[in-house]
Amino acid sequence: MSTHDTLIIRSGDQLLQPTTRRRFLGLLGVAGSVVFLPSVFTACSDDDITDPNNPASYTLNLSNDTGILNYAYALEQLEAAFYTAAITSAGFAALSAAEQEVLADLQKHEVIHREFFKAVLGANAIPSLSFNTTTVGNLTANATVLLSTSQLLEDTGVSAYNGAGKYLTSAANLLVAGKIVSVEARHAAAIRDIRDARGGNTGRLFAGDDVVSASGLDVKAEPGTVLASVVSLNVVTSPLSIGTGPTGTATADVKAPTPA
Amino acid sequence: MDKQPILAAIDPEIMDRLATRKQEIDNGSYARPGIVAALAIGSVPIALAALSRDAFAQGTIPTAIKNVLDFALALEIFENEFYKAVLGTSNYTPYNTAFATVRSQVPATALATLQQIQKHEAAHVATLLATGATDVFSLQVTSTNAQFDFTGNRSASGGGPFAKATTDLGFLLEVAQGAEDTGVRAYKGQAGNLMTQPAILEAALRIHSVEARHASRIRRIRRSLNTGTAALRYSGTVRGGDAAAAGATDLGTNAAAVTAAFTKIYGAGSNAATFPSESNVTQAGVNVSTLTGAQFGVEAAQEAFDEALDRADVVAIVQPFFIPTIA
Repeated sequence: MSTHDTLIIRSGDQLLQPTTRRRFLGLLGVAGSVVFLPSVFTACSDDDITDPNNPASYTLNLSNDTGILNYAYALEQLEAAFYTAAITSAGFAALSAAEQEVLADLQKHEVIHREFFKAVLGANAIPSLSFNTTTVGNLTANATVLLSTSQLLEDTGVSAYNGAGKYLTSAANLLVAGKIVSVEARHAAAIRDIRDARGGNTGRLFAGDDVVSASGLDVKAEPGTVLASVVSLNVVTSPLSIGTGPTGTATADVKAPTPA
Repeated sequence: MDKQPILAAIDPEIMDRLATRKQEIDNGSYARPGIVAALAIGSVPIALAALSRDAFAQGTIPTAIKNVLDFALALEIFENEFYKAVLGTSNYTPYNTAFATVRSQVPATALATLQQIQKHEAAHVATLLATGATDVFSLQVTSTNAQFDFTGNRSASGGGPFAKATTDLGFLLEVAQGAEDTGVRAYKGQAGNLMTQPAILEAALRIHSVEARHASRIRRIRRSLNTGTAALRYSGTVRGGDAAAAGATDLGTNAAAVTAAFTKIYGAGSNAATFPSESNVTQAGVNVSTLTGAQFGVEAAQEAFDEALDRADVVAIVQPFFIPTIA
């Protein structure tokens, strides 16, 4: 070990480059030196994950329970924002009283879920997400699109919790997630049932063959799959992304189906 | 349908094991004849089920996990047999005869719902067996063996407080709702016991949410038949706790016994701190009825979270419907 290698880090981004990272990790294992120039620390001081103006605040670290709960918090923020807009929309006004009761219940439940996660995450919570009001307006403009979007959101929520439960390391957190996912499934069935009554009246859509497999299993999706679906809705404008994936073995996705 | 994802959910390594095992068998290793036949015809589910039992016979599944799977299987067999009796498709003819009166009252759409639910319960039985569960309580219903008393009297001749379910649609749906809501609470209570086996945990969670979908639909049918009963939400969620959460409009001929049963189904478990009543509004130490920005009253807070039950609590609910002892 006569050679003394030195790696100079000029910026935080440099650490994310594969070659730099490899050298960085390599040097930590031997007698090398790593020099951080002051610019790195300047960048780090901006790296407040609760700052809504810092894109890094929306980058999820799913390798621990806090990250998984933030992922759930993000999804609940989306649902809460959608239903809060929905209950004053033209689509809502076109629904029957019985149908309106469902949407009104869902809005309350999702806002409660959102505020619950915000409270339990405390200082570790990601910031509030921003939403595209034009897209939300389009997705609530009439009863048909309002209900199909609601179905997609609820089925997606079920798939997200079902896919993320295995990554939680605390039994208490898993129990809380379980208490919420069954409520999301009840919502999904109710919305599907409304759509069924308006359409084919099959009596089966609440847990249709499109969402429950031949093995009797509901949908599940890995976080990356869920976030890609969320991004494709063009409702969330904040740069929500996954920085570090979950620790554990992923399973094959059975995504929430596109409402027929 | 989508067999690949199902297999992956049961065990991400199962395809590898299946392939390896097939290679071993091809090379002359011993396997029971059923496995060889299933592999030969390329039937992955059948081969999976057979190979799982083969593997578990070697003791690879932890006892704690096995116990949960066996318990879940008992509940699923019960649910499956209940719906088969209602639909008139049970192996035990007296069940079909007993439910004939109420069967004639079920509207076509609701009948399709019951058929869809029964299909899922049968699938859950098959999936749990394929995952390693065993029918340890010998609950197989045959043409001569009734293992259940759907009237809640633990007797092949019935006569229990839920007998009205065989003759009255509204009462039948109350019982179905109770069974589904119990299933939701039971799976939720067992999730923590499956954490060491993530693939099995995930399969259990995916069954759990299906049970919740069932419960929601039954609640919605009941609300449409009892529009004034606001405790039955059109959103399919559970309002209130204890017997009130059932939204029961008919308590049959033994109101005290039926009320006591609903109190167990929607009430607190014996460990009330971990398994509170469905009326609970404190989650992870947070009162979810008074959160800033989310103050919608106690009822919405109750509805927003479902509660779990421990195994012993669930056994106390369902034992009256099982002739064998399942403790």
